[in-house]
Amino acid sequence: MFIDMHVHPDFYLSINEDEERLNFRHRVMNIHKNGTPPLKHIFNQMNCAGLDKLCLLPQDYTTVEGGATVTNEEIKKIVDQAPDRFIGFASVDPFDPEAVERLEMAFTDLGLLGLKLNPGKQKYYPTDGVLNPIYDLCEKYDKPIIFHSGLSWEPGTLSKYCRPVEFEELADGRPKLRICLAHFGWPWVQETAMLMVKYPNVYADTAILYFDNAKEFYTQVFTKDIPSTWIDRSLRHQVMFGSDNPRFEQIRMAEALTQLGFRESTLELIRGKNALEFLGCSL
Amino acid sequence: MYIRSLSIFTDQYNQYQVITGEIERIVTDSGIKNGVVTVQTKHTTTGVTVNESLECLESDIDDFLKRLVPEDHPYAHARMLKDYGSTAGNPTGHIKALITGNHCHFPIIDGEVVRGGAQEVYFCEFDGPSERMVLVYIQEG
Repeated sequence: MFIDMHVHPDFYLSINEDEERLNFRHRVMNIHKNGTPPLKHIFNQMNCAGLDKLCLLPQDYTTVEGGATVTNEEIKKIVDQAPDRFIGFASVDPFDPEAVERLEMAFTDLGLLGLKLNPGKQKYYPTDGVLNPIYDLCEKYDKPIIFHSGLSWEPGTLSKYCRPVEFEELADGRPKLRICLAHFGWPWVQETAMLMVKYPNVYADTAILYFDNAKEFYTQVFTKDIPSTWIDRSLRHQVMFGSDNPRFEQIRMAEALTQLGFRESTLELIRGKNALEFLGCSL
Repeated sequence: MYIRSLSIFTDQYNQYQVITGEIERIVTDSGIKNGVVTVQTKHTTTGVTVNESLECLESDIDDFLKRLVPEDHPYAHARMLKDYGSTAGNPTGHIKALITGNHCHFPIIDGEVVRGGAQEVYFCEFDGPSERMVLVYIQEG
C-alpha cells in the first residue's frame, strides 16, 4: 500500500462552492493560480503516482485568521465521498477554549484518525502548556499528531516555533504519543534525524521540495544533507512519504523516492507500512 | 466569431488524444457553412497538433519528444515560484508544447471541415493528469 501522508485538500471542488472561502484558502495557504479539481482528477493523479490513499490535513487557524482553511467537518465530507482512498485528520486551534471538546468530537463522531498542528502559524512552542489537554486527549484515544516542522511557505509563519529540537521535550516526556515532524523539519534535517534515532515515537515525512526538481532536491536532502544510509539502516521505520500536495509535486516526488538507493524493503516501509504504524490502525 | 470550449480530463503524464470528432460536431452546431475553424489550447504545457492517428506513430512521436526533451536534465524552470506558492517542475511540458505548437486551423466549406484523409487533430498532454480546456473558434467568411 502506498500512502501520501501529507495532502491539503483545500482546493477540492466539493468544498469550494463559496468563492469567499476559496479566496481565503488562496491567501492563507499562499497557493495561487491553481484549479479546484474534482475527485476524478485527484484519482487520476493518484493513479499516475501509484498512490492508494491520501491523508487529508485540515488547519484550524481561528485565532490568527478567523477560521480553518479546511474544517474537520469538511474533511469528513471528503472522506465520505471515497473512504477507500482518503484518511482524514483533524485540526483544532489550541487557543480555542473548546479545542479539547472539538477534538474529541473529531475523533469520536467524525472518525478522524489524527491531529494536525502548525505551531509556526499560531506562534506557540510545542511545550506550551496550552497544549497539554490536547496531548492528553491524543494519548487517551491513541491518535498521532502531525506537526508542521521547519520552513512554512504560508504567510505569517515563523520557523523558530517549528524547529525540530523544540519537539524533543514532547517526544521525551510523552513516549507513547506518536508525533510526525512534517517536511522532515527542513532545513534542520539533521536535527530531525537526531530526534528520530533517539526517540522511536518521532516520525518524519518527505514533504519537501523548496529548491530544484524532485529528484535533485530529494538527492540533496536524503543522500547528502543526511546520508541515505541513515534512513536505510537506522530510521527506516520512521519515515513516511508525504508530498504537501498541492504545493509540491506528488507524482514526481513519488518517483524521486525510488531513485535514492534505498533497499526495496525500506521503500515499502516509507510508502505505507510506517504510515500504518503511525496511524495505529490497519485501515 | 463563434466560440466553444472543450473540457478534457487527461489521465496520463503524457497523452495524445484525438479530438477531431468534437471539432466537427462544434462546426456543425455553429451552422456556419464557410469560414475557418481554429483549435487552440488554453494551456502552456499542452499542445494541439495534426497527424495521422496510428498507435505506432503516437509511440514514435512520444519517444521522439522524450529523447529531445529528457526528464533528467538541469532545467532552470525547477524552482519555487512565489506567484504560485508552489514548485515549478514541468519544464519538459513547456518545451514539448513549444515543439507541437498550441493550435491548428482548417477551412470550412459547405459546412464541412476540409482536412486530408490522414489528418486528425490531436490534443497533447505534457504535464498530466489534469483538467484541460481547448478553445474552438470559427470565423465566418
